[in-house]
Amino acid sequence: METRTNAGSESPEWGPRESLTLLNTNLRRVDGPEKVSGRARYTHDIRLPGMVFARLLLCPLPRAEVELDCTAAAKIPGVVAARSLRDKDGFETKFLGQAVAVVAAETPELAEDGLRAIRANYKPLPWAASADQALSPDAGQVTKNGNLGKESTKGDEAKANAILATCDATVEAEYRLPVQHHCSLETHGVVVDYRGGDEATVYASTQGTFTVPEAASGPLGLSASKITAIVEYMGGGFGSKFDFGIEGKTACELAKELKRPVHLMLTREGEFLNSGNRSGSIVKLRAGAKRNGKLIAISSSTMRMGGIGGGSFSGLPYVYKVAPPDEEAGEESDEKAKNPDGVRSSVRSLYTHTDSSRAMRAPGHPQASFAMESAIDELAYKLGIDPLVMRKTNLAKDVYHRQLDRAAERIGWGAHPNKTAPQKTPDADGTVTGIGFGVSVWGGGGHAECRVKISIGNDGSLQAIVGTQDLGNGTRTYVAAIAAQEFGLPLEAATARIGNSNYGRANASGGSTTAASLAPAVKVAAHKAREAFLAHLAQATKRPAEELAFRGGSLVEREGSKALMTWKEACATLGTSGLSEDGDWQASLASNGVHGAQAAKVKVDLGTGRVTVVSMVGVQDCGLPLNRTAVESQLNGGMIQALSYALHEERVIDPKLGLMLNANFVDYKIAGCQEMPELVPLIDDDDIGRGVIGMAEPAITPGHSAIANAIYNACGVRLRSLPFTADRVLDGLAELAANGGAK
Amino acid sequence: MTLGDRSPVSRRSFLKGAGGVAAAGSALGAAQALSASQQVERLSGTTEIQLDINGEKFKVRVEPRTSLLNALRNHCEPPLTGTKIVCDRGSCGACTVFVNKQPVYSCMLLAVDCTEKKITTVEGLAVGGKLTHVQEEFVAHDALMCGFCTPGFVMSVTACLEKNPKATREEIQSACSGNLCRCGTYPRIFEAALAAGKKLQGGR
Repeated sequence: METRTNAGSESPEWGPRESLTLLNTNLRRVDGPEKVSGRARYTHDIRLPGMVFARLLLCPLPRAEVELDCTAAAKIPGVVAARSLRDKDGFETKFLGQAVAVVAAETPELAEDGLRAIRANYKPLPWAASADQALSPDAGQVTKNGNLGKESTKGDEAKANAILATCDATVEAEYRLPVQHHCSLETHGVVVDYRGGDEATVYASTQGTFTVPEAASGPLGLSASKITAIVEYMGGGFGSKFDFGIEGKTACELAKELKRPVHLMLTREGEFLNSGNRSGSIVKLRAGAKRNGKLIAISSSTMRMGGIGGGSFSGLPYVYKVAPPDEEAGEESDEKAKNPDGVRSSVRSLYTHTDSSRAMRAPGHPQASFAMESAIDELAYKLGIDPLVMRKTNLAKDVYHRQLDRAAERIGWGAHPNKTAPQKTPDADGTVTGIGFGVSVWGGGGHAECRVKISIGNDGSLQAIVGTQDLGNGTRTYVAAIAAQEFGLPLEAATARIGNSNYGRANASGGSTTAASLAPAVKVAAHKAREAFLAHLAQATKRPAEELAFRGGSLVEREGSKALMTWKEACATLGTSGLSEDGDWQASLASNGVHGAQAAKVKVDLGTGRVTVVSMVGVQDCGLPLNRTAVESQLNGGMIQALSYALHEERVIDPKLGLMLNANFVDYKIAGCQEMPELVPLIDDDDIGRGVIGMAEPAITPGHSAIANAIYNACGVRLRSLPFTADRVLDGLAELAANGGAK
Repeated sequence: MTLGDRSPVSRRSFLKGAGGVAAAGSALGAAQALSASQQVERLSGTTEIQLDINGEKFKVRVEPRTSLLNALRNHCEPPLTGTKIVCDRGSCGACTVFVNKQPVYSCMLLAVDCTEKKITTVEGLAVGGKLTHVQEEFVAHDALMCGFCTPGFVMSVTACLEKNPKATREEIQSACSGNLCRCGTYPRIFEAALAAGKKLQGGR
């Protein structure tokens, strides 16, 4: 039922969900056919006349004095440039895989030849390539203040200790998370189209179309306003593709030098070594709860391992509330509620001579989640409390209770026989089964950063135009859907034109802020265009605009729905320039703050130690879902990446040799088809009345924690280091056997 | 095995170009010295070969080491960039094409070994622009996100269903186990493949 008027000056609203014809339904991606047919052109696929291929030479040591001689390389027929990335040929490097030189050539193979022909002399300098090495007294120093960053603390240790001493159950443990890589399938890189003159086009695999012109301006020596960035399609970013990077800067410099288009995409090895990562963490934690399950103290000290960068860690306690030690003592002050005496934390960075961490999907959250959810779980089993009940006891918000209950129901927690202790007797096939849980939190709100143009042509075309980028979350599709719905048209009737810095501005896609920043601006522009079009049609039909509406592909009478004109006929009444309106963000169309609960069911083979994830359930709120299919796919993607982190992923560096041992997809394993469990993405439809909110990041946060807890629930082995490999499970089982069962 | 055993490419045409490319790097220089001393035939330089791709003949100028993947992407005119480069060492499946109907990693094949063979790339599936059942079901089931792994998966699923349109979910998982996706489209790919299999069983 339509309740809003179709004309007038009221502000745009999404309207009741049942009135939505496209949004909140299952939409097919508008760019699906391009992607399945190979027609979608990514930056890596750009081919231009006279284009050269460039490759970077990466320093094979964590820290070294480098001397370069590029003369032989430059002489190879087909090599057009070979040079140091510094003004000089001798300099000091700061991290493993740092780019030191570049070669450009007519083919990628010749560029590789050029790299091999560079005579590079690396004199090793003392380095720190691992956490242990960085902490040893004779380690190389990453900063002039040493390898440990400044400590940032919260709370009072003595007070937290005093409360810990009164707890009925405590846990004291160290949780370790290794460095994880983004593994975007399209590597970082750009194609710079500059052939002289004062204009350039930069194709970039980036999360921020509008970050490119300014970043390219310096190295190209052109005004940013003369540089067009194009991001039609991009093959994944996950937080790693905000920086223009050494690859972008170098490609621009080469193009300026050569006056030829330059293609510079990192190799897969370069992608592992030189394009960021999720920082690792070591979390030492003590937590305590009362007999009733109330968490009353958590004291932690964390080291973030972000290479030469600071790393990220979202803080403890994570999501869960720490209660006052004596609740019967009456109402506590707001100040006490915010900063309970039981909370104490210290966080500092531990630097190594490795690539700087970058944002990665929910930066710092999976790390904090793992320590928090493990500690909550450990306390629950110690107290003999159902881990689901334990969680709800310490989560204040109803939304978590509802989401956890839904996840629990779907994964089969109710009928699960071993809720408060691991499975006693293995099944006939030698496996035991367990279930675990975790929760997440994120902002996901929007900002006034986008300007969208809606353009209607007298040929019946409807376009939504904005420079934003689609990382694969389905941005292009919802931009078209919002426009089509406004005019009562099917999705195919609208075209979204995105990925060009000459279009209306848009924010970079970080922090799950794209949907909540962009969708409102599309809606406002579409709303304005509809009002303007109806005003025009009022004249053409000699009826008051208030009596007109667009529905079912036609201009209709508001009441009675009598069709007056088809959409095409209505558009034909426009002049040759058509009609267009711009829209900006409107706060009331977006909201902020999402939650999320996930459950995992695993089988552990007691003979081999192998963990098989059987199913994962994710329950996620996101305000108004723009495209239910895309939201579910994001939720699947988050759970799968968490599963992958849980079971496989870990950067391995040999500290002595200073080499990364797994900078490829053979040795750095990510989850594949064979490991896929049943995945159940559930949108929390009880989240009503809110506007659009982004949800991609919380989807990745709790999955690995839920898997760790499920492993314990299955076999009694508490794994406190990722990844949960078979050898770690077997070690844990052996320890259990030696100690006579689960503790 | 020498090149001549498998390919009609003239060995001499490569030898003519020998010396230019390899002369520079010291490692290559050593190899060259070794081969000269032992009178071993070396292949270098470039030659023109003809590849049969998607039913069309492409004349491409390649080196002996040029992979089929790089020949498709960098040497064909127009370039066939639907086949993606991701790992370049046979571990992710993004470069999957058919050679004589068999799915293969094109990064692991030499272009010169593919003359006189029928190559099909993702661009060759949709005849006359009409998507195949597999492609249609990928779109219908949202079996793609960023889309960079998608052409490889479309090829692997197509090959699997051509052999057996009744393939079970487990068989599809196995057939695609050489393909990687980072966005997390796997479950949707399996659904799409099962749906496409049903359509194929029902007659094209």
